Amino acid sequence: MKREISFRVNGAEATAVAGGGDRLIDVLREGLGLTGTKEGCGEGECGACTVIVDGRAVNACLYPAAEIDGREVTTVEGLTGPDSTLGPIQRAFVECGAVQCGFCTPGMIMSTKALLDGNPDPSDEEVRDALLGNLCRCTGYVQIVEAVRRAAVAGRDR
Amino acid sequence: MIRCEYHCPRALGEALGLKAAVPGARVIAGGTDLMVRLRSRELAPAALISLRRIPELAGVREEQGGARIGAATTFTDLLDDPVVARDYPVLARAAARVGSRQIRNAGTVGGNLANASPCADSALPLLALGARVRLERSGGSRELPLDDFFLGPGATALAEDEILTAVILPPPDIGARALFLKKGRVKMDLAVASVAVLLSMDGPVCRKVRVAAGSVGPVPLRLREVEALLEGAAPTPERTARAAEVAMRCVAPITDVRSTADYRRHIVGVYLRRALESLLGREAA
Ligand SMILES: Cc1cc2nc3c(=O)[nH]c(=O)nc-3n(C[C@H](O)[C@H](O)[C@H](O)COP(=O)(O)OP(=O)(O)OC[C@H]3O[C@@H](n4cnc5c(N)ncnc54)[C@H](O)[C@@H]3O)c2cc1C
Ligand code: FES
Ligand code: FES
Repeated sequence: MKREISFRVNGAEATAVAGGGDRLIDVLREGLGLTGTKEGCGEGECGACTVIVDGRAVNACLYPAAEIDGREVTTVEGLTGPDSTLGPIQRAFVECGAVQCGFCTPGMIMSTKALLDGNPDPSDEEVRDALLGNLCRCTGYVQIVEAVRRAAVAGRDR
Repeated sequence: MIRCEYHCPRALGEALGLKAAVPGARVIAGGTDLMVRLRSRELAPAALISLRRIPELAGVREEQGGARIGAATTFTDLLDDPVVARDYPVLARAAARVGSRQIRNAGTVGGNLANASPCADSALPLLALGARVRLERSGGSRELPLDDFFLGPGATALAEDEILTAVILPPPDIGARALFLKKGRVKMDLAVASVAVLLSMDGPVCRKVRVAAGSVGPVPLRLREVEALLEGAAPTPERTARAAEVAMRCVAPITDVRSTADYRRHIVGVYLRRALESLLGREAA
């Protein structure tokens, strides 16, 4: 029932064994040890599991593992710079106090990455819309929107 | 989580062949409805047949003056599509209100309809636009009005060996305008109630009216009695108020975790009137 699939994660080749019903989040966390991606609700509501597949933000808890065969996946681990320094979006979140317990942060950052890749200068409304599927129980969102704005400016200045 | 085969066919014929050959197999498009139900073991299909890599099922193209929307077109693709934006903007408006960005990136129009929830956001504008659905099986195909596709909550006209392959939209009605209004508890939510209205005027009278309402019955509903009340008549404020009363009487909402029957009924009346007045360029009283 299971078969081997091969794909790219954060630029590197990877393989896994997956059958129907298996989820991408389990391949990432259990199979590959990429535990940056979190599981909150497991039902598509909270966004903690957000990763980017072929350029689009998706919920890894709803994404069939077998479907990533031949595709390109980016997780929060893929956003760090050389020597594991923080990437610009990660740095903006830290600098703006947009992280408290941090559980929602990887998902927030991946939604931000997908947004800014397609729209380097989003309005506050566009930011809020892009993050609608990412819940935070701690910060109250103001600092998060601020962090996205700062990351956008940092991205454009580069 | 269930254990079963996951098939990734690359052509529609292959998918239809699998659907016919494997009893109990289920198709999976975006998985945004199905994956939750697999995990809870509510469903245990014999196999999953993915529709994600079938070129025939993806995207929108113009066809016979109208449009053909492949069943596996995601809401994000719908939102980016120039034909939809130009000819069927009400559909884009509804697509924009589905779930979150992540859900729209995966969820498809075909999955939304096949799932047959009374709250399916795409169903309302599609009913108002007069959409038809194309159902195909190995060696055969048929088309029916979307009105006849929904049979009950989670139940559709799809036979065991059929796949919903496309939504067919008639040529855009020149002069008609349409609106979709959705009430959720918060912005990202399934509809507590929703209304889609299409209106075309002929001088002072309504030439054509289509009204659909969501989350207020076992399936997404066409409110034909409301349409009949308005068509051929001048839409005076008195008449739109009367239309709202009729709409509230026609629907059959239930009370559940999301809302009460009374509130849903109320919203249908308010939103119908608001949509009509707005399409007429007036302020809702
Ligand atoms: C967090 C969250 C928020 C949501 N918000 C909304 C919302 O605001 N509005 C809304 O309407 N929905 C919402 N949904 C529900 C869901 O995302 C949509 O119904 C979506 O369109 C389903 O499409 P899919 O491609 O993911 O379907 P899948 O999950 O792949 O399939 C759904 C069902 O349809 C069948 N199916 C799929 N495609 C076909 C086909 N072509 N032919 C035959 N059968 C088929 C499958 O076998 C399955 O039974 C939400 C879901 C989640 C998890
Ligand atoms: S864990 Fe995937 S959305 Fe909550
Ligand atoms: S920082 Fe705790 S959930 Fe967002």
